[in-house]
Amino acid sequence: MDNIANLMHGFSVALTTHHILLMMAGVLLGILVGVLPGLGAPNGVSLLLPLTFSMDPVSAIILLTSLYWGALFGGSTTSILFNIPGEPSSVATTFDGHPMAKQGKATEALSFAFLSAGIGAMAGVILITVLSGWVAGFALRFSSPEFFAVYFITFASFIGLGGASPFKAIVSMGVGFALASVGMDSVSGNIRLTYDFDVLLAGVSFLIAVIGLFGIGELMLTMEEGLHFNGISAKVRARDVLKTAAKLPRYWVALLRSSAIGIWMGITPGGPTAASFMSYAMAKRSSRRGANFGKGEPEGVIAPETADHAAGSAAMLPMLALGIPGSATAAVMMGGLMIWGLNPGPTLFTDRPDFVWGLIASMYLGNVVAVIVVLATVPLFASILRIPFSIVGPVIVVVCFIGAFTVASKEFDIWLALIFGFVGYAFKKLDYPIAPLILAMVIGDKAEDAFRQSMIFSQGSLSIFWSNPLVSTLMALGLLLLLMPLVGTAYRRLRGLGTARAA
Amino acid sequence: MISRFWAECAVALTTMIFGLGIVWGALEFGIGWDSSGPQPGAFPFYTGMLVALASLGTLVVTATRRFAGDAGLAEIILDGEKARRVAAFILPVIGFVVLSVTLGMYVATVLYLVFAMRFQGGYGWLPTLATAIGVALAFYFALEKFFQIGLLKGPLERLLGL
Repeated sequence: MDNIANLMHGFSVALTTHHILLMMAGVLLGILVGVLPGLGAPNGVSLLLPLTFSMDPVSAIILLTSLYWGALFGGSTTSILFNIPGEPSSVATTFDGHPMAKQGKATEALSFAFLSAGIGAMAGVILITVLSGWVAGFALRFSSPEFFAVYFITFASFIGLGGASPFKAIVSMGVGFALASVGMDSVSGNIRLTYDFDVLLAGVSFLIAVIGLFGIGELMLTMEEGLHFNGISAKVRARDVLKTAAKLPRYWVALLRSSAIGIWMGITPGGPTAASFMSYAMAKRSSRRGANFGKGEPEGVIAPETADHAAGSAAMLPMLALGIPGSATAAVMMGGLMIWGLNPGPTLFTDRPDFVWGLIASMYLGNVVAVIVVLATVPLFASILRIPFSIVGPVIVVVCFIGAFTVASKEFDIWLALIFGFVGYAFKKLDYPIAPLILAMVIGDKAEDAFRQSMIFSQGSLSIFWSNPLVSTLMALGLLLLLMPLVGTAYRRLRGLGTARAA
Repeated sequence: MISRFWAECAVALTTMIFGLGIVWGALEFGIGWDSSGPQPGAFPFYTGMLVALASLGTLVVTATRRFAGDAGLAEIILDGEKARRVAAFILPVIGFVVLSVTLGMYVATVLYLVFAMRFQGGYGWLPTLATAIGVALAFYFALEKFFQIGLLKGPLERLLGL
């Protein structure tokens, strides 16, 4: 097995004191970011990214991925103790996690959440280990039309499966693509869409967009609702954790099913949020104790948590092997890879095996480190939420704007972050999905290049997207995903007519 | 008092104008075909069109639902109370940005935190000043000293010779 040898090499890269310390630092920062409302995983990675520009890429990605694991754990902590999801993907954890905490089983709920999350993440990482080499090898056969087709599938699945209004998903995606094309055109060298404003010459950074949309926008929403924390204090004792761990194998069906759902939603860009909801719904429907769901059923914590983390780690597979991020956070990380001078996609596996396998190995270690660190620090982070939000909120604002400035040391960027804050507020209020916007900003240039090169190959004929079985299959898959909502509506209409007639 | 109907329309109109703006900007660079393939404006032209058309789609859907008497659209999504809370948060933030570009980010941080804690949060002067100055100093040492990243500076930093 080639992959095993590669993985062992990866462990030799990742297993250094320096990297383990970076993992712990990343996880701690991540939990902090995940616990604080207004600072989520995409935002945390964006804020930290400028500080990694001078680091070695392997260390940098270990720091950022660890922050991501930490943020996912932090999000579940607040869901269970405070009934406030720190991350959108941990909303489903509140349904049963908080009732459990209220019944005095906070430790049990937290332990179940963290342990099952760790198992979900492991499932995702094992999948990456097994499949990534194969997917990358397969993708080496891709040329521009195939790459464009894969980008098309990515966005088609956002529009078709995202759950939001398809028009709104298209608007969000189109705005992202338009913003990505501001500034230098990588093919012709022309300066585009600056409308004679010098500040737009360098383009609009996706990092600023993330900080504004996810940071400032989220805070505006939090403030609007008037925030009240009603926390349940928790002490995590090692004995209780072990007792809970012993109960975990009983839920093996839920663990397996949720891992599978999570992995699927992570690879297709459904993302962790959709995965956790879907897994919760499936568990509720199929569990023998389905009636207890919502009242503090452990399986209702295990199912969304496993899927959430499985999706989070599985989202790294398309990012590494195809250059397509499976979630907003993965998009930010992929943007980071490009800033460090790496080219995510199949060639990364042959050009920089030490980076790829170092990262994959660090995902195994990082998740183990994360579970241990999060169990040890829950009381500490829970006490952070007891600091009144009138102090924490403004400090988060300062962090966001200083982070926006450090991206490129441009004064204009802090204004831009403010504008994106308003956009994020309006978009969230009206259920516009934000992830497609970020994805489009990150892969906009690549998608455009793929499209233009395809057009050059074919002398301007769209038929190139149907010119061989591979690209035709990919495009057909994309169209199918795109038309899903139409099919769904038509089906419901027909059924609606049927029942109306029957009545 | 803003109902969902008006908010939907306003946002859809804004994105439509944005899309048309992109279309207009793209026309300058040519949207056709030349010797090197599609011209630079082609891709932005079509994405701009897509945004404008999808916004139109949202407008049509919203208008149809209103016509059909959809109750969800009449829901008030921003009442006076909520608007006041959002304003109390975002106006000082705008002030912070203005101060950042005029007086520098460290001074702006201290002034903003003092305003938010002392005058909005109702904390005493001692905890307020300790937090505000502590945060500014923490950023100064972490960024300028450790990561060697300079933030926007104003007259005060020049006076202190930093």
